[in-house]
Amino acid sequence: MAFVLLVGCGPSVNRYLLIEASLRAHDPKGADAIVAAAEKDYGSKSRVLYGMDRGMTLQLAGDYPQSNAVLEQAEEELDRLYTRKIRTETLAFLTSDTALPYEGDPYEQVLINVLKSLNYAMLGQWQDALVEARRIDHRLNVLSDQTQEKNAYRDDGFARYLSGILYESTGDVNNAFIAYRKAYETFESTRSWSHAAVPFQLRADLLRTAEALHFTQELAEYQHVFPETRWEPSQALQQLAQVVVISYNGRAPRKEDQFLDLPISLDALQLVLLNRGFSQANRHSNRPVDTVLYGLNGRVVRVALPQLIRQKTQVPLDTVSLVSDNGSRVTLNTELVQNVTALADKALSERIAGITVKALARAATKFALAEGATRGAQHAVGKDAAPWVGLLVGLLTKGLAVASEEADRRSWQTLPDEIHLARVWVPPGRYQVPDWFIGGSHDPLNPEAMRTLSLGLGETVVLIQRVMP
Amino acid sequence: MIVISRGRIGLVALVVLALAGCAQETKITRVDSGVVTDLSGRWNDTDSRIVAESMVKEALEYSWLNTFSGSKHRQPVVVVGAIMNNSHEHIDVNTFVSDLQRELTNSQKVTFVAGKGDREELRTERKEQAMYAREDTQKAPGKEIGADYMMKGTIATILDEADGTKAVFYQIDLQMVDLESNAKVWFGQKKIKKVVEKKRSIF
Repeated sequence: MAFVLLVGCGPSVNRYLLIEASLRAHDPKGADAIVAAAEKDYGSKSRVLYGMDRGMTLQLAGDYPQSNAVLEQAEEELDRLYTRKIRTETLAFLTSDTALPYEGDPYEQVLINVLKSLNYAMLGQWQDALVEARRIDHRLNVLSDQTQEKNAYRDDGFARYLSGILYESTGDVNNAFIAYRKAYETFESTRSWSHAAVPFQLRADLLRTAEALHFTQELAEYQHVFPETRWEPSQALQQLAQVVVISYNGRAPRKEDQFLDLPISLDALQLVLLNRGFSQANRHSNRPVDTVLYGLNGRVVRVALPQLIRQKTQVPLDTVSLVSDNGSRVTLNTELVQNVTALADKALSERIAGITVKALARAATKFALAEGATRGAQHAVGKDAAPWVGLLVGLLTKGLAVASEEADRRSWQTLPDEIHLARVWVPPGRYQVPDWFIGGSHDPLNPEAMRTLSLGLGETVVLIQRVMP
Repeated sequence: MIVISRGRIGLVALVVLALAGCAQETKITRVDSGVVTDLSGRWNDTDSRIVAESMVKEALEYSWLNTFSGSKHRQPVVVVGAIMNNSHEHIDVNTFVSDLQRELTNSQKVTFVAGKGDREELRTERKEQAMYAREDTQKAPGKEIGADYMMKGTIATILDEADGTKAVFYQIDLQMVDLESNAKVWFGQKKIKKVVEKKRSIF
């Protein structure tokens, strides 16, 4: 029974496959319904993960207020999780890390505020979008204070860049410049592992805002660093409207168990080698067989570690066309601004040493407890029954120790593999844009796949699209 | 005849009590709206009310009021303009604006006129009266009282956080602006500082 319960603790792979199928079919409402129906399956330990997954699918489904509501709940829950419960930590130490409440990696926590800011921008609630920009700043400042390692994830180029766009869109050029500068510095300092270069658009944004603020020294410095960058001065853009395209491309990586079977006798070594010869390692379907074999042998300690499975997108960049009422066409090319897979890779690599030490300690404790229980049972029943009681109790306790070993495979899987961004200024008016919800192509001859965008003077409109795979 | 020992009864009672202790229970207590309830450390109804009361009181104690009344021989007409939320929280600014309006109106020292949002609704009503209401009950357009001053301001926060302790510093700036000359006749500031401490671990 305990085995069944423990197996049930892992995240359902099928859920994410179904969500992916719905998104491929341009049915974000269907994807959201899948997450909503699975709320109970997430369980009390994964409330934050449910909020993250649901917040994303609701955003894609266009229900921005509800997306904000669930993301706000996730953020509040995160706040509460600062206080750790010793009994929960102890239980997790004896079973697996899935017994711990899911807090998400720091980059995922920042993305909660990023999604909320986009939701508010989609609703035209710019002051609320700026509240999220301030929260991003605060969250990153606290993270930076906590993280000593210079090369670690301690700031976020994309989150800073988006904050700058929000500030500039509301006329706060000074804060926009500061955010752009931080974004530039972060893109530069993390490019070795984030696999995201400084976006060309950000270079133009830095030059434009530096000039608008009469920061002559900064302007000269950036002109020296980006001599090829072409940019329009702020005054020229004041008579235009702005379109910002956010493109979620591909699927975020998933985590799988990587089992390390450590034999502590020669017999056990033979068994492990034989077992691996017969069956593929690291397969969940092999767990019942492993449990019985290793439980009977009693001399194999199993350690489970999470490993990242990358699901790279096949779309290097997107092109979005805006077709005005008079037939003129404006084409935007998006740029990579966030490589979510690289962030997940970095987050896991920063934590894997700690996870391994904890997993080894847990496995040793479980083995010692199982050994103690077996010997205790043998001692209690006397000499005659000791062999078969020892075998039975050993099978149960050591089998349970093997069966319960599971890595924490939870992660925000409704995120994309990459986030792309483009921004363009166009004359105010009505434009036709592709509507990806109904399989939007970039073909203006197909009016059913297009939707109308009305842009007022000085207005900013955000477009979100989901590109699979 | 079934005999249950005292020990067993005690054990059962203990289990029942323990289970009852584990149950989730929603408890609702009705409290006076003036009672201070700081639950999360965020901006709340108490902050909104206290700030509105104290700042309007302060605004009406300054010399601009007497100067205006002395020269024009009437109460100044005030309208509440935009209160910008420059904080880290999604503050319902309308609640704060409503608190300011209440304090201004109840002070009896100024004539308070409806703000931008309300005015649109009232004008629509007058237009409809002109079409559908009896002539002797219709309210004519062009008779609104123009405001002399606009009260506007910002709510800003400064956050500082380390090791589970968060200091939130709210700064509320309000100003009374002469609508004719753009002169700022009063500038008020209210500061609230809250410290939220979270334990790192509990049993």
